[in-house]
Amino acid sequence: MNAPRQGARLSATPLRFRFDGRVYTGQVGDTAASALLAAGVRAMGRSVKCRRLRGVMTAGPEEPNALFTVGTAPAVVPNVPATQLKLTDGMVLETQNRWPTLRFDLTSVLQLGSAYFGAGFYYKTFLLPKWHFWEGMIRRLAGLGKAPGRCDLPAPSLEHSHCDVLVAGAGPAGLAAALAAARNGARVVLAEREPLVGGELEFEQAQIQGRTSAAWTAAALLELARLGARVLTDTTLVAGSTGEMVLHTEPAGMPGAARVIKLRPRALVVATGAVERMIAFVDNDRPGVFLLGAAERYWVRYGVAVARRAVLFANHDRVYVAAGRLAAAGITIAAIVDTRASGALSAEAQRVATALMAMGTECLAGSAILAAQGRVRVTGATVASLSAPGARRVIACDALLVSGGWGPAIHAALQEGGSKRYADALGAFVATDAPDWRATAGSADGAMELAGVLHSGVAAGVAAAAHAGHRGAMAATPAASGDPAPQLQPFWRSPADETEEKRQFVDPQNDVSVADLRTTLAEGFIDIEHVKRYTALGFGTDQAKFGGQLGAAIVAQLRNEPVPAVGTTKLRPPFHPVTVRSIIGHRSGARLRPARVTPLHEWHVAQGAVMEAMGLWMRPRYYRANGNNATDAGIVEAGRVRTKGGIVDGSTLGKIEVVGPDAAAFLDQLYLTKASTIKVGRSKYMVNLREDGMVLDDGIVLRLSAERFLLTVSTGHTEHMVSHFEHYRETEWASSALTLTDVTDAWAVIVVAGPECRAVLASLLGNAWAETLARLRHMDFATGQHEEHDLTVLRASFSGELAFELHCRPAIAMALWASLVGAGLAPYGLEALDILRLEKGYLVSSELNGQTTPYDLCMDGMVALGNPCVGRDLLDRPAFHEPHRPRLVGLRATDGHSPFLGGAQLTEDAVTAVPAGYVTSSAYSPALGEWIGLALVSREVAEGGVLYVRDPLRGGDTTVKVVSPVHYDPKSDRMKS
Amino acid sequence: MSRLICPFCGPRELREFEFHKTLPNAGDTPFERVYLRVDSLTHSVEHWQHIQGCRAWLHVERNPSTGAVLVMRLATAPGVA
Ligand SMILES: [Zn+2]
Repeated sequence: MNAPRQGARLSATPLRFRFDGRVYTGQVGDTAASALLAAGVRAMGRSVKCRRLRGVMTAGPEEPNALFTVGTAPAVVPNVPATQLKLTDGMVLETQNRWPTLRFDLTSVLQLGSAYFGAGFYYKTFLLPKWHFWEGMIRRLAGLGKAPGRCDLPAPSLEHSHCDVLVAGAGPAGLAAALAAARNGARVVLAEREPLVGGELEFEQAQIQGRTSAAWTAAALLELARLGARVLTDTTLVAGSTGEMVLHTEPAGMPGAARVIKLRPRALVVATGAVERMIAFVDNDRPGVFLLGAAERYWVRYGVAVARRAVLFANHDRVYVAAGRLAAAGITIAAIVDTRASGALSAEAQRVATALMAMGTECLAGSAILAAQGRVRVTGATVASLSAPGARRVIACDALLVSGGWGPAIHAALQEGGSKRYADALGAFVATDAPDWRATAGSADGAMELAGVLHSGVAAGVAAAAHAGHRGAMAATPAASGDPAPQLQPFWRSPADETEEKRQFVDPQNDVSVADLRTTLAEGFIDIEHVKRYTALGFGTDQAKFGGQLGAAIVAQLRNEPVPAVGTTKLRPPFHPVTVRSIIGHRSGARLRPARVTPLHEWHVAQGAVMEAMGLWMRPRYYRANGNNATDAGIVEAGRVRTKGGIVDGSTLGKIEVVGPDAAAFLDQLYLTKASTIKVGRSKYMVNLREDGMVLDDGIVLRLSAERFLLTVSTGHTEHMVSHFEHYRETEWASSALTLTDVTDAWAVIVVAGPECRAVLASLLGNAWAETLARLRHMDFATGQHEEHDLTVLRASFSGELAFELHCRPAIAMALWASLVGAGLAPYGLEALDILRLEKGYLVSSELNGQTTPYDLCMDGMVALGNPCVGRDLLDRPAFHEPHRPRLVGLRATDGHSPFLGGAQLTEDAVTAVPAGYVTSSAYSPALGEWIGLALVSREVAEGGVLYVRDPLRGGDTTVKVVSPVHYDPKSDRMKS
Repeated sequence: MSRLICPFCGPRELREFEFHKTLPNAGDTPFERVYLRVDSLTHSVEHWQHIQGCRAWLHVERNPSTGAVLVMRLATAPGVA
């Protein structure tokens, strides 16, 4: 094996990884891209549509080509840029968009690619017979990696925190900003996407305050630590909104955040640098075409020379100093192709150029690379003078290193206010009009020389600290010298015949070429956002970082307009691809939301209850001892309540206490019927209306004393109802003297129902309570003590049987429950509860669904009492009284035994297509021996007769007759016995 | 950066608050009060609740175009104890 590579990010420790089935070695600190390049691998993917063989082009998140699927099922992450994937030992990588293998891809062999997939290809080609006909084939051919069937990645830890100043990016500008802010007393967080701070200082041979850039960086880190600043490496600002910045820390290993930080800084400094851009020339997507800065980074960070003999192509002075450094790294610089006319060079660039020419480098001014030679990998560059593009010649080489300039990374600087401005000197947009809490610094702000970069960093850091309340005198900019000014002249694409334009790639990931842009404009899609959607320019994992600016500039050229007139597409978060696991964090499975449990929960679970969530509450649906499924068990449990008796845990019922001199008057406003007429010791079934007249909720209201009421509200509605009452107390009736308290958790509720329940309770609760139980009429209640704890006994029934609700303190709930079970009353669950209430025609959320008025629900009598409550006015709207309004009815199968299911549509007969209503609830009634249901049907058909149940998906078509909603014991003799 | 300032609790996370409704400000009939809104681009009067905090109901005036909060006070009418 060779000696370990030396690189700023490498340790000598070797690691092994698998790439398309073959084992490769790398070193700890390598990215997938650097290790594969070091191993001589050039081909790392195929393009999505044209299936062209592609290599890695960049060293950053803008990478368009080298996207891998990482991991083994089920812990798989697709579409990971090789440049961002920090290797760990044993990692498994696969290329994408190829079948059966990367080198032998059938689609490209069949030449299905470039000939067909022009702009708008999908829209034009797959219109007929219809998209779905083609979809299966398209999905096989196109698209990126496959989404995993399930997610088995570890959840990130989540941190919420605050600071004065967040600095995003720890290049020279970010370091200077963080230092300036921290020196002025601000609490600073400095976040750097890369594993090391320094940014461009990694390879720019710079002097700062008389020290090397490496020494200055080290000193800056020490000082930041001393000042209490927090420096986070491997940490990217991926999104931010309403002042909350989301940072993802992704150390080496499986992609996805290991830690998510939701940070609230008082001020933000965006020092995220600039992204180098490509130039469009023919076959500029071949493996071996790199961005110039990527070549420098691969050498400095990972000790990888991406070429033996390179041709460099650029439109600025920096290419010369870069060439000097790459030559020193052992790369033969065959030629530097500069699009600018001769004589433009700065002294520094000229000095390097002269030295290189002495070593045999050709320096071609006013020239361009017209095309890359070589199919599987670059073998040469076709170059020509821009003044005579017909006179072409080929320079042999194994890599093309291209730099068309830099676009400031202003993603973070354009969220939440602010706009962008075109800077001619850069040929790029910079952020402007920032809100006062945000500043942009360094090359992200268009500063390209180190002195200016540091100056803007200091200024931004001072301003941010001041915004956070830390004004200080520390504002000195360190003296510095680095690479010369770029003296860039924007150059977007090399000359080409129109027939060659389809191989001048602008956005390689989506195979968008100059030809596609031309076609799109010719077809009338002029706006850059339309161009994006028609061509997919800027779609994909790099989100326009690689080709967005280049594409927009070429659109401007084709439109004969200045670049600012075209603009760029909107930059949206996240800044780089994040895994869904990173977003959902720990909130999945049992941790999706908290569970509320009753004091009897442990008992239910221990007794084999199948629990069901209702809102946050967990409630027993049925007990396994009574059947293998809810339907069977529910029939057993419900039947037993009617013949003997049973108990059910009603603790989840919402309970609100309203106390005060104005309590009665207040409740009169919020219920359809009056609370003020309830006598102390009595209760009443009441409903609330929304202000638009629809029924909001129902429940029983108990009058505990003249000025004290207990409202019960639906389990799933409690939080909403508390807010609803609070709203009216604090707005329309803010002068009312009353308190509102949610006492749901203060009382456990055990409902004891059935013919034997009074006798069992009397013997359990003792003589004093026995007399009370005998005295209580339907809807009476009594308060007292049991086992030295408060107990309220309400005689009310949701089952139609004689029943008592025991409102007891949670402390004695379990003992009381256990003694009831010991006395022979079996527990029943929600399924039985639902059967029992349905037999009696009582309503639940299926009927109280927010779309029904009191009239629809046969509550005409309550409305007729004339209480002018909230929502009452709007009940008079004519539409609520038209014949098509729904009306609550009962249903039974005409044949006396066929089932029908809730949700089924009802029509007047088997041929009518227009529904007359639908089944809201249904169940098999053990008491009646047949299926029963409730339905909301048009008033025109609600007066009896036969309806047709249409349930094509579940195969449950049958006929039903309309009956009274009260199926069982219509006179309620049992309940009142 | 927008955080909502509760009169009781001070500056708190937006997610602690729940938007309830835009206040009716067009018309006097019951129907108009419930359904008609002046849908201003720059000035919206709303009720919010500090639902995961002190539960106070809040009168909020906002610029929906910019997200700027112009007024935030208790919804209780001024002068009411
Ligand atoms: Zn509050």
